[in-house]
Amino acid sequence: MTMKTQMLHPAATLLARDVRAGALSRREFLTRTTALGVTATAAYALLGLEAPVQAQAAATGGTLRVGMEVKAQKDPRTADWPHIANVYRGWLEYLVQYNPDGTFEGRLLESWEANEDATQYTLRVRPGVTWNNGDVFTADDVVRMFTRWTDASVEGNAMASRFLGLVDEATGALRDGAVVKVDDMTVQLVMSMSDVAVIANLSDYPAAVVHSSYVDGSDPSANPIGTGPYLPTEVSVGQRAILTRNEGHSWWGGTVPLDEIQYIDFGTDPAAMVALAGSDEIDCNYESTGEFIDVLDGLGWNKLEAVTASTIVARMNSANGDLYKDKAVRQAIQKAVDPAIILELGYNGLGTTAENHHACPVHPEYAEIPAQTIDPAGLRPVLEAAGMADTEFELISLDDGWEAASTDAIAAQLRDAGANIKRTVMPGSTFWNDWQKYPFSSTTWNHRPLAVQNMALAYTSTGSWNETGMANPEFDAAMAQALSLADADARREVMVTLQTILQDEGYIIQPFWRSLYRHARDGVNIDMHPSFEHHHYKWSMDA
Amino acid sequence: MLPFLLRRVGVMILTALTLSFVVFCLTNLAPNLEKLARTEGSVRMSDEAVDSWIINNGHGGLMITRYGQWLGVVPGWTRTDDKGVTRGRCITEGVTAEEAPRFCGILQGDWGTSTVFREPVAKTISDKLASTGWLMLWVMLVMVPVSLIIGVMSGMREGSRTDRVLSTFAIATTATPEYVSGVILVVIFASATTGISPLLAEWGWIDGRTLFLGTATSAIDQITFWNFALPVMTIALYGIGYIARMTRASMTEVMTQQYIRTARLKGVAFHQVILKHALRNALIAPFTVIMLQFPWLLNGVVIVETLFNYKGFGWTLVQAAGNNDIQLLLACSVVAVFVVLVTQLISDIGYVFLNPRIRLS
Repeated sequence: MTMKTQMLHPAATLLARDVRAGALSRREFLTRTTALGVTATAAYALLGLEAPVQAQAAATGGTLRVGMEVKAQKDPRTADWPHIANVYRGWLEYLVQYNPDGTFEGRLLESWEANEDATQYTLRVRPGVTWNNGDVFTADDVVRMFTRWTDASVEGNAMASRFLGLVDEATGALRDGAVVKVDDMTVQLVMSMSDVAVIANLSDYPAAVVHSSYVDGSDPSANPIGTGPYLPTEVSVGQRAILTRNEGHSWWGGTVPLDEIQYIDFGTDPAAMVALAGSDEIDCNYESTGEFIDVLDGLGWNKLEAVTASTIVARMNSANGDLYKDKAVRQAIQKAVDPAIILELGYNGLGTTAENHHACPVHPEYAEIPAQTIDPAGLRPVLEAAGMADTEFELISLDDGWEAASTDAIAAQLRDAGANIKRTVMPGSTFWNDWQKYPFSSTTWNHRPLAVQNMALAYTSTGSWNETGMANPEFDAAMAQALSLADADARREVMVTLQTILQDEGYIIQPFWRSLYRHARDGVNIDMHPSFEHHHYKWSMDA
Repeated sequence: MLPFLLRRVGVMILTALTLSFVVFCLTNLAPNLEKLARTEGSVRMSDEAVDSWIINNGHGGLMITRYGQWLGVVPGWTRTDDKGVTRGRCITEGVTAEEAPRFCGILQGDWGTSTVFREPVAKTISDKLASTGWLMLWVMLVMVPVSLIIGVMSGMREGSRTDRVLSTFAIATTATPEYVSGVILVVIFASATTGISPLLAEWGWIDGRTLFLGTATSAIDQITFWNFALPVMTIALYGIGYIARMTRASMTEVMTQQYIRTARLKGVAFHQVILKHALRNALIAPFTVIMLQFPWLLNGVVIVETLFNYKGFGWTLVQAAGNNDIQLLLACSVVAVFVVLVTQLISDIGYVFLNPRIRLS
């Protein structure tokens, strides 16, 4: 793969110096520089390393059977599960891809550059990409995608809130002049505000690039025109989805190793996956959780790990009911829970402890703030002072797996500390109906590349996924500032404020960061991705 | 005979109407519609988006008119959104708003579209019923002969050692619900770490790691002994015990009759007495029980198909209920009524042939 010579972003060299001085980890360096438009190869070169190359040429051929729920296909921008995207990833591709090592890699874009305050991005289209119907992929397609993504009138459009700097607030659609086609291969984004997450957002699973003939809201597998190397030969919801190599299409990336990928739906019971692995009905699973990790290890399968900022948040909601309006009560509840114990009991210790502020050390802008003191003895006096000594606190969670176990552990610790806790569990189908409204419940959060992404969604007063009722003007202001700082070091200064406020408000008990695992049998070369993305072209099987 | 049949068909239609209306009301409760909107639209939609989704997809308005639309006696809904795109019940892919018929309910032969499976309900139901049909067929082929043999053997000499052993077996199997026996069977025969499979694999008696497959998912494409044995046994075991007990009771009663004693005193061989004189009379009661097994099987498959991941009617019912798939649930209830009442009809008619004293009236 040849890269055009281009100017390095000024921050990149500075960051490289930090790495050498030991002030920055390699992983953070890669995330930050590639987000600024430095290619992965160049980023590795700045560190004096060689970019990792896929081991040797993988054997071509083979059918891989993956145990994964097969959900109904949706208009990609409204997709709400990685499972949905993993099927359409066969024939739809992304402008940018987030790799498990924390770097961003151009796919349909060859490269991009950001200006210094992250208000303008120049996107360069990869030459030589064609759709599987023969059309050429050009800058027009990129402009068209931004129009689709920014259309807020579409119910459940997951992309709409991600490019606020490109949207005309009055119409809820793309602002005139926001996305400019410079020439056939270049697109310029002119934003009304700084946004550091543009590249990260382009890589998220609802951001798949569809053809101009795609009918809005239809099933993308019905007329599978895309740029990708596979075609869907069967998509039966709840049963299976089969992707077959598209022999009639010359994919820009060459020939993909696997002939066929079969997603087979065996339901959600992790015990079933173990049985399937034992009876050789699948070659790999979607995710291994809890005690089943050990069981699958025991069967001789290979464990694949992804370090992530995925987490569980037990959050109190001050907008519904009066129980959690008092900050002192929230703080006392938060501090009565020891994260290390939750990690041990709820997730078998398969992760690292967190600090109740939803920023993870793997995030480039993570700031270290003084550790909290865990104080179970402090809960009882605060409750008594607030007149809640006998009040029943209901803690709600999903009904199974590690979510329930972690929430049980939280409830048990609160109970030990003297609170009257009632545990309620709900099946997923009812839980999600009101997930934002429960007074006290646990929610799982997926990994996102930047810490400000989840924080802006979940804890600002206008955040669309705000489930705490938190509305702190200081936090909102700091967040607006953080989102304008392209340089993660500068952003870290603000992160100190953001993390401190979030922790101090006491809304969330965020005990640990999960590592994610999946298993594959011997001879299957796949990887685990922190956001459950399946990059099919990287997969192969030993002949 | 004809008035009897007509009356039965009438009852069937009335039951189907009532049941489907009840199901319709339950699936159209506000929280259920919200759940549907969230699974169909997006899990994390705002409340306003949910409300507009419900209206835009024809779930607004009076419940009784929507039920009428499903029946096909009220014109299907249509709605034109802000962008000028018209959607409606009768407007399917490839049909424009102008061409679409006004009515499209079950009276017009249109069962609607399943929201879970994204295909016509008629296709879903027929595919899944066929799959379940295979399961039932194999269950019947195993269950009926085995249970009749056990029942007759234990009933012909009441209190003998054979009777005691077989009765114990029958009581044990029928007292074990499917979700227990299914799990036990999987643990014993289809686990790579417990039961007999690791032993057999160690001795080199089996090629794979397990004796049988713990799931029947692959049986949808091709039924083999390995993937179908466990689900079939799970359902059949329960029925075997039950039918065997019924047959035994019926058999012991027949064996005390005067004409049996007469035959024996006349010197007829014991097997002749059983086959020629006792069996026909003893089979009347089991016959009803066997016919009753069909509706019960339709129930039983819900658990077993879910347990073994066999994608048939029972599994579909679980998916439809879990996702509040209105059209599919309605169709399932109609099918269930149909199966129950048709098998009862067959059982009533079959009765007449077995016992000339009973008349249809």
